[in-house]
Amino acid sequence: MHTVDAPRDAVIIGGNRIPFARAHKAYAGASTQDMLTSALNGLVARFALQGEQLGAVAGGAVLKHPKNFNLVRESLLGTPLDPRTPAHDVQMACATGMEAIGSLADKIRLGRIDSAVGGGVDSISDAPLVVSDALRGILMEANRAKTAGQRLKALARIRPGHLAPQAPGVDEPRTGMSMGEHMAVTAHQWGITRTEQDELALASHQNLAAAWDRGFFDDLVTPFRRVAKDDNLRPDSTLEKLATLSPVFGRDLGEEATMTAANSTALTDGAATVLLGSEEFAESRDLPQLATFVDHELAATDFVDGAEGLLMAPTRAAARMLTRHGLTFDDFEYVEIHEAFASTVLAQMKAWEDAEYCREHLGLDGALGRIDRSRLNVDGSSLAAGHPFAATGGRIVASLAKRLHGKPGKLGFISVCAAGGQGITAILEGR
Amino acid sequence: MSETFSPAPVVADLRRIEMPSLAGLYARAAADAAGRAVRGSGEVGALPDQALAARSAGATTATTEAYRRLVGGEAFDGVHRWSLPSALVHVLGFPVQVALMADRRFPLPLMGLVHLSNAVEHRRPIGVEQPLQIRARAENLREHRRGVQVDIVTEVLREQADPAAPAEQDVLWTGTSTYLARGLRLPDEPAAGSSEESGRRDGDAVALPPRTASWRFGADAGRSWAAVSGDCNPIHLSALTAKALGMPSAIAHGMHAAAKMLEGREPQEAGHRWRITFEAPIRLPAQVAVAAEDLGAGRTRITGWDARRRRRHFHGELQLPEHD
Repeated sequence: MHTVDAPRDAVIIGGNRIPFARAHKAYAGASTQDMLTSALNGLVARFALQGEQLGAVAGGAVLKHPKNFNLVRESLLGTPLDPRTPAHDVQMACATGMEAIGSLADKIRLGRIDSAVGGGVDSISDAPLVVSDALRGILMEANRAKTAGQRLKALARIRPGHLAPQAPGVDEPRTGMSMGEHMAVTAHQWGITRTEQDELALASHQNLAAAWDRGFFDDLVTPFRRVAKDDNLRPDSTLEKLATLSPVFGRDLGEEATMTAANSTALTDGAATVLLGSEEFAESRDLPQLATFVDHELAATDFVDGAEGLLMAPTRAAARMLTRHGLTFDDFEYVEIHEAFASTVLAQMKAWEDAEYCREHLGLDGALGRIDRSRLNVDGSSLAAGHPFAATGGRIVASLAKRLHGKPGKLGFISVCAAGGQGITAILEGR
Repeated sequence: MSETFSPAPVVADLRRIEMPSLAGLYARAAADAAGRAVRGSGEVGALPDQALAARSAGATTATTEAYRRLVGGEAFDGVHRWSLPSALVHVLGFPVQVALMADRRFPLPLMGLVHLSNAVEHRRPIGVEQPLQIRARAENLREHRRGVQVDIVTEVLREQADPAAPAEQDVLWTGTSTYLARGLRLPDEPAAGSSEESGRRDGDAVALPPRTASWRFGADAGRSWAAVSGDCNPIHLSALTAKALGMPSAIAHGMHAAAKMLEGREPQEAGHRWRITFEAPIRLPAQVAVAAEDLGAGRTRITGWDARRRRRHFHGELQLPEHD
């Protein structure tokens, strides 16, 4: 595939992640740096990168304490990689991992670097707490004070209410609505039913369980803190059980509310990494070449007043990316759509099938096309595995690359939505 | 939203006053409540044919920043954002409105007035710390299903304008605030009919658009808006002070909701018009579901409601200038 000119291919060599664990459980007490370091260590061990000076390591965390401004660099320094390997942090909400990996692939394609690691980490259990704006204002004023008297005067304004710590916001800053509430509106507008969401959630658990059972993750995951497997996985769930759950988002829709804790992604902790390189880099070290990272596309929607859905940006990215390559969904062997919510996946697919939406919002002549459900999230996705925000891109890229390995020329599609009305899509090609 | 600007009327009886303090006016209104002419018969006298005018130093940088801390939005950097939000202009004129309503000759009692609606024509931009004149007059005293309503027309004029007969270009901002005095009657008037504003119970069972935002009003929202606006009406400040005036709990200032409705939507060069109609009060603390609907041709409708009870708190509309 060389529809977009590039001096050379960026090859996905492999990946490593730690099992994803439900928030405040197995990984409580582990920091994001601990988790990312562990995931990097596993990658270094798997591909014998000890002492290797890589071109770049990039990644990030959505929930990040200011003291971790150099999270990736600090994590790298805790691994056997050559300390002269540069690293930088990336931040694009839930698309952080995809953006880190995609940008590194671009650098490899341009010949600026020969090798790279991209990925991400997140921990709800280690989320940074901050003081209120009011207290911060007083403390800053006290800090600027020139005399003890001025300082005391500032500090005397502190009230008990100022002292409550604030958890990181889960609401979109410009709308005050949580991501789930936004998705509930979009799901309702697209007429996504409760049953199809529950079916998608169930398939995610069944597919992930099957992948674990046949050892698919044996060379993709390294245990962490005695957790060897994604602990959000519920292989024994049934549609009947899922149907008993009460809606948690869009409850003001009454009887028409469809989004439950089971068809929405659970809060989880975890880290994921992907090793990329030029063909020469892989060949010279006798490393596998699972797939080519062909292209990726960023997009955003006009969501603030509801003109477009918060999590529908991948519909725009896909339209541009597929048009650029002259591809349709029929050309893809596998499709990975990040399951922020079951309804996110279903709404994106419905949108691509909708000629009017594709004309009005995506600038196409007609519908982008239908996705064959048997090719969708075949090894499970975020509903089953969990979704430690910035780690999801690395999980998907590594798993899809492995799926495509041994199928030269076969294509895989990735869609990841993100807060702020953003999203990324990508194309991988098997080798 | 189809009304067009009519020239500011020449006022025969204009009284110039110093910019009053709202706290003082409210205190006096509470004390005066006992001596009102309307007590006894419950019938309301005529509006005084008098306008008040006062000079205003404008909105200080500190007030503007306090407004932004509370309402949100982009910084007043003096380059890309320099024009006062309409709701803050209303705040500048509000003491003159209240002075008019607190006057002994004003036929309705200030304490307990219900703010029904606001319609604003923001004709020209007003800068931070721009000195102004404010003129206010009462008109259109009429029946309402639940009592008597009146319009207070507030005009924000250029510093050098003649407040008795301002030139067209001197009128920067015009706002019509409609207030209700409950339980009163006009003499020789039949009971109000079924016009739109006196019809069904406020905010009940209406068709609601898809939600686009959620607004949180904390228990201290009334005190916070009071700190920015100076409107220390006790019904907004705390549950205790609100109960003293017969409200079940403190309620959000209507203009606080209007400010949030307009935030990020007003053009710096002004020339826009908007209106808001208040329905079920926002009892603090509250979470308000909000929908913005693009009606085309520069019109946006914004609706706020209580998602649990499905009762509407307000609905409003903004008309941008270039589409007129």
